[in-house]
Amino acid sequence: MKILFRNGLLFDGRTLSGGKTDVLAEDGVISRIGTGLDDNGANEIYDLSDLIISPGFIDLHCHLRDPGQEWREDLLSGSRAGAAGGFSTLVCMPNTDPPVDNAALIRYLLEKGEECDGSRVVPAGCLSRERAGNNLAEMGKMAIAGAVLFTDDGSPVSNTNLLRLALQYSSRLGVRIMEHPEDRSLTLGAQVNDGICSTISGLKGWPSSAEASDIFRGASLSMDTGVPIHFTHVSTKESMNAMRISKASGCTVTCDVTPHHLCLVENMVISGGYDGVFKVNPPLRSVQDVDALWEGIRDGTVDAIATDHAPYHMDEKDLPFQESAFGIASLECAVAAILHEWKRRKDLCTLEKLLSLFTSGPASLLPEKWRTLGVIAEGSPADLTVIDPDFERVVDVSKWESKARSTPWNGRTLKGWPVMTVVRGKVAYKMPDHLSRVK
Amino acid sequence: MEWKQRHVLDLDTWKREELHYILEQTSSMDELLDRPIKKVPALRGKLVVNLFFEPSTRTRVSFELAEKFLSADVVNWSASGSSIGKGETLRDTAWTLEAMGADAVVIRHGAVGAADYLARKLKKSVVFNGGDGAHSHPTQALLDLYTAWKKIGSLERKKIVMIGDVLHSRVARSDIIGFSKMGSRVVLSGPPTLMPRSVDALGATYDPDPRSAVKGADIIYLLRIQRERQDEGMFPSLDEYHQIFGANESLLKLAGADTIVMHPGPVNRGVEIASNVADGSQSMILGQVRSGVALRMALLFVCLGGVRQ
Amino acid sequence: MLKDKARVMTAQDIERILKRMSHEILERNRGLENMIIVGIQRRGVYLANRLGDILAHFESTRVPSGVLDITLYRDDLTLLHDQPVVHSTSIPEDVNSRKILLVDDVLYTGRTVRAALDALMDLGRPESVQLAVLVDRGHRELPIHPDYIGKTIPTSKSEVIEVRLNELDGKDEVVICEREEG
Repeated sequence: MKILFRNGLLFDGRTLSGGKTDVLAEDGVISRIGTGLDDNGANEIYDLSDLIISPGFIDLHCHLRDPGQEWREDLLSGSRAGAAGGFSTLVCMPNTDPPVDNAALIRYLLEKGEECDGSRVVPAGCLSRERAGNNLAEMGKMAIAGAVLFTDDGSPVSNTNLLRLALQYSSRLGVRIMEHPEDRSLTLGAQVNDGICSTISGLKGWPSSAEASDIFRGASLSMDTGVPIHFTHVSTKESMNAMRISKASGCTVTCDVTPHHLCLVENMVISGGYDGVFKVNPPLRSVQDVDALWEGIRDGTVDAIATDHAPYHMDEKDLPFQESAFGIASLECAVAAILHEWKRRKDLCTLEKLLSLFTSGPASLLPEKWRTLGVIAEGSPADLTVIDPDFERVVDVSKWESKARSTPWNGRTLKGWPVMTVVRGKVAYKMPDHLSRVK
Repeated sequence: MEWKQRHVLDLDTWKREELHYILEQTSSMDELLDRPIKKVPALRGKLVVNLFFEPSTRTRVSFELAEKFLSADVVNWSASGSSIGKGETLRDTAWTLEAMGADAVVIRHGAVGAADYLARKLKKSVVFNGGDGAHSHPTQALLDLYTAWKKIGSLERKKIVMIGDVLHSRVARSDIIGFSKMGSRVVLSGPPTLMPRSVDALGATYDPDPRSAVKGADIIYLLRIQRERQDEGMFPSLDEYHQIFGANESLLKLAGADTIVMHPGPVNRGVEIASNVADGSQSMILGQVRSGVALRMALLFVCLGGVRQ
Repeated sequence: MLKDKARVMTAQDIERILKRMSHEILERNRGLENMIIVGIQRRGVYLANRLGDILAHFESTRVPSGVLDITLYRDDLTLLHDQPVVHSTSIPEDVNSRKILLVDDVLYTGRTVRAALDALMDLGRPESVQLAVLVDRGHRELPIHPDYIGKTIPTSKSEVIEVRLNELDGKDEVVICEREEG
């Protein structure tokens, strides 16, 4: 199987080159990069003039609800949604039912993932047994089986000793610990950002300190053990500062931010009439917080953008705000939302920088064998994402591959879309009637 | 004037002229309460459902009286002894009520946004927010405005000092909006742990010391202290609260002889207010209760009185 | 849009008619004893005041007068176009066992008077109720007949009778208007 991509603007994972480049994918591997490549024997040829060809986007954090909560999402619907959203790789979170805390479930996910025709699915495993926060899960066996991250996401690891042990124990496994930063004693009953939104709504406030204090705790443990730690869905200015200080003092800490925290603000909860669609953990934050996250992207404090795609059934979301589930589904519009917002904040950072947070950034946080997913180089896997930075489209959640039927972006027109996703050398998604197949 | 508020959810969308209009209508209803026969046929044939998910005798009885004085058919639907107890969603309850032909639904719910949610789901019925979580209690704010307006006249450039648990108070949130829209200045006081984070976003200011806050106050408005806040550790003890933040005669003296005292009820005597202040000549507490019935009659009549088909 | 079609009463006409009606009232009741004049909001109130003034001039004694708002008793609110405004009702004395003289500007379907009677009965049990109107334009829908009529003016249903009074409109006149399309 040979696919030739002609005349694309090449982003190789680090830099965006000006000229037109051809890329040839052969049997799931990139075999040649150059100009005017011979199309002899290519099964498919695409003309990518004015489009960006990038390493396939990697989502470090999404919830595919498989096993056990398939009414919300399953591996196939999630995988197809990921491809439609421009992601070639999804890291699925282990807070399922039962939780993914053993090697058998890791193997189940990898095997079922192989059968899915959308994004590549790679699993994260629980840090603690039964995700209960008491004892270490069998991280060694899960690492061998193919787990790419360890996390109790959905919950923080509140027991500081357990988190320290997990860092120490995982040091030889080459699999990173991901912490969901939240001090639960500060967020009990909290619903919205502690600030304008909590003040006006009367909903309990979720203070920024609940996140930043956990980052400082984790950074201190990382310093102590010398083992890296990753913080996911970091959402506030204070947390950005915590990351900056920790990085500056030599801690091996990394973080990701989500599209909703980069594009939406707490006031939308109020102006939206307390619609559950805006309810998420951590909550939508202030304008200053959103600005600080973009500043973190610009200055390199942010290491990746991850969706935290959290699909729910409408019956769990279409409720009064206080009763609605925490979670925003976004896989199929996350990249567009980011490109749109980036354009609105012109010159805030380079497009290269932004694209690296979907590619080489997250790839560098995965185990060694997956790092080549973040680059386009001869010999690297043929996982590719094609971007049309000028294409405009209305988000229509009713047409999603995902089972989720509610998203804050529904009905919004976004500019800048992924138009093709290639996984293991095969076209997993192509936007209908968009780019022309030459052959 | 053309009445544009379809539902009564929150006062944030109201204009001052709308507030005035309701105050004047309330005044006409107030006269009705002095008559030997208080019942008028204005809402004959209209079905009003009082949907109460939280026990609230005062608000429910006040609405019920208002509905009955206007001759509406009244149904009380409470969380206990109904399908809600069996896990029915608010959406299904809403549609059930509409299918039964409710012209209006008064909802009291512990969750913020429940009234907004109901209003989104109902195609025909008018929704009255009888209190949603700690968010909004518009009818309480309107009856407070009416009580104050009747007593002291124009509320422009008046100083309202609100003391107590603002953080958990829907009454405070709605009253701050209401009094501010009428041109009053609202100063909040109480323990810092019971204040919301961004007081300025409410258009109010905060003075931690009630003794300095009440100087020059036209109205002292006391908020109810829930005993469970002490159990949650929001302040050390009820006794300490009363000593520092409670309204007693010496605090009232600092304010002035013309200052009126208001409280949404029910009163915790000896906590946020001393008995002799609650029962004293400056207290408007019972006037507020009476105003509540008149105000709710005015709102029901204006929203259901017929113009809109 | 309403367009004036014909002026059927001038200020002078109105004054003469009210004087004549006052005489009829005095004649029928043999004086003013035990009477309360009640005007129906809004123009009936001013006409009631004027009748009160004339009667006081004739008899050198003032009859108590009150104001009745019937908005809450109407059965035709859905047909009205403006937001209903509840005005105040204030009758200075107990209506029980009194002769009530109800005053309104125009008698048409009779529904306003029906509502006024209901409103009045909720205030007590008068000995009797009499009705005085400046204009009777016909088209009754209820069995209601006025005791004192200023003028009977036959109209078609498409026409509107506008009574304009100095206190509210800056001049005294009665005009027949017609609805203009568009």
